[in-house]
Amino acid sequence: MITCKVCKNQEYIGAIFCSECGSAFLAEHHLDDDTVVYPRKEGDPNYRDIPHPEKSIPKGKIALYLPDYETYLDLPEENEFTLGRLIEGQVITPEVDLDPYDGFENGISRLHATIRMNPKKNSIQVLDLGSANGTRVNGYEIPANSEVPLTHEDILTLGKLHLKVIIPEKYRS
Amino acid sequence: MSEKTDFYNRLNLSPNASEKEIRRAYRQAVKKAHPDVNKQDGATRLFLDIQEAFKVLSDPKLKEAYDEGREPSEPSRVKTAVTYSRPALYRIDEPQIIYALLHIITTQKQQENPELPINIAIVLDTSTSMQGRRMQLLKAATREITRDLNEEDRFSIITFNDRANVLIPSYHERNVSQVEAKINSLIAEGGTEIFQGLEAGFHEVRKVITHNYVNHIILITDGHTYGDEGNCLNLAEKAAEMDIGISGLGIGNEWNDEFLDEVTTTAGGQSFYIEHPKEVKDFLKGTISNLKKSYSRNITLNINKSAGVNLLSVFRLLPEVTPLSPTAQIQLGSLKYDKPHQLLLELLVKPLPEDIETFLIADAHLEIKRKKSSFTIPLALNRPISSQEEEPVPPPDMLYRAISRLTLYRLQEKAQEDLKKGKPDVAYQRMINLASHLMSKGEDSLAKTVMEEADHIKSHHTFSPDGKKQIKYGTRRMMLPGNIPEDLP
Repeated sequence: MITCKVCKNQEYIGAIFCSECGSAFLAEHHLDDDTVVYPRKEGDPNYRDIPHPEKSIPKGKIALYLPDYETYLDLPEENEFTLGRLIEGQVITPEVDLDPYDGFENGISRLHATIRMNPKKNSIQVLDLGSANGTRVNGYEIPANSEVPLTHEDILTLGKLHLKVIIPEKYRS
Repeated sequence: MSEKTDFYNRLNLSPNASEKEIRRAYRQAVKKAHPDVNKQDGATRLFLDIQEAFKVLSDPKLKEAYDEGREPSEPSRVKTAVTYSRPALYRIDEPQIIYALLHIITTQKQQENPELPINIAIVLDTSTSMQGRRMQLLKAATREITRDLNEEDRFSIITFNDRANVLIPSYHERNVSQVEAKINSLIAEGGTEIFQGLEAGFHEVRKVITHNYVNHIILITDGHTYGDEGNCLNLAEKAAEMDIGISGLGIGNEWNDEFLDEVTTTAGGQSFYIEHPKEVKDFLKGTISNLKKSYSRNITLNINKSAGVNLLSVFRLLPEVTPLSPTAQIQLGSLKYDKPHQLLLELLVKPLPEDIETFLIADAHLEIKRKKSSFTIPLALNRPISSQEEEPVPPPDMLYRAISRLTLYRLQEKAQEDLKKGKPDVAYQRMINLASHLMSKGEDSLAKTVMEEADHIKSHHTFSPDGKKQIKYGTRRMMLPGNIPEDLP
């Protein structure tokens, strides 16, 4: 049997998709039509309308603003980093620790989501790592382990923690 | 060339048989026909015929000359191919799934005068709910298609509510203005008893020798039928035996899609859904023009599964997408000149015996029915057996795409099941999942419909009647191959 990585459903060997959640079992299959674009759910959540203070962002990078904490998140230099909650004795640690922002109360998993930036392609993507409370983009839950593109002023919600995605004007496509 | 004189027929071979196959067939034929064994009259003649055939076919030079002079026989004008989801079955001690995509095409080009004229009965629901705009548009559409028919074509119009009424009986000659006046006189009243209408349509279609036509009943309804579903299914089976296809069109959201699917696929047809009554004209025109492109009356697929094989599901992808019931005999409808048939089979194979190299999954054959000759084409589904590889080979793109779409169609079916089991939360999550998969396939508007339906499920714990059909037929439509292949893969 094959176990689906997303929903733990069991399928017979030879199956190509999970019949419960629709996830593909073959990770690398390059068909043109596999980019996820989420619709914007206008007005929900209302975080989009909360103004964010100006901040200078390094070339090819983004910023994440926490409207509930009125502050920007410190992000590492890398083009790929994981958001999560740091706990003592953890073997694999997230690059960005969300514990100071009520990580536990907000339902952040230890390894919650990964942000990937590709400056050459001018694209930014989020990947939910199978977190307990899920990840949302503009209010829509995204499936685990699939890359979802982010655009300027998208509201990214990890558990109950909201983050506003800020992309420098030059790089907004 | 008659069957007896054809060298390939004498050895019971297809014209593209390999050298090895020819030798094997010869040995088998000789065993049966040798005068030492076969004491029947004419056995010697038969034996000599086989010798003669083998002498030519086993010699490459003589064979080439023979092939050139040989007229292509009808069976050689229908070609088949099978694409599998993986190159081999695994030698493992648990069940495994394999998908097979069956392609059927005819190499024959459509001639100006079709061999088979069409013989159709249009069965119209005229119950009260059809009143107003629906009725008007239906009348207009029916009037228009009657003008598209040729002289050789036969057609009849049956209306039904609680009873059936033959509005236009099946005749050759017809007076166009009279037909139109009769259509105009239609009024909507009464209930919906589909069996009454179907039976009358069946009766009209049977008025001619059905072997000489492409026969079809087109049912148009907007409501539920009550209590006569069983009769309708029996009639569909009878129709299938006589090569009479049935297509069904549902208008609006009140009709029973599961029922219409069952009746139509039993008889090799399919059900259609339209959102706006004005699309009825396109539907009728499309259905009739498709019927006119028929190479054969009907194709039947007979599947003889090997022990330890389960046929889990069958989906026809071309010429129209429709789920079929995974039985031993499947009606596929008529083969078209311009479009291949594509059939997706999902097979479960139980652990295989250890001592075999190749496994025959199923021994199948297609029965193709034409006016002059009906013939069968053998089709073996088999795969070699190998040890399980670490990285499975991805299936061919065409198959991957079909299965990926099928998975989405199944998700909406599962959401319906979730609701029946009283699990609206699960259904909601499944719909959200489905929406995100649809988005990734670029199906934005369908994804939006699914999102809205998810919200509806959250608050009402049920599908909306419109949404349910839009999503079912929307995800079904996605399974249509993006570009229709002209030749076999």
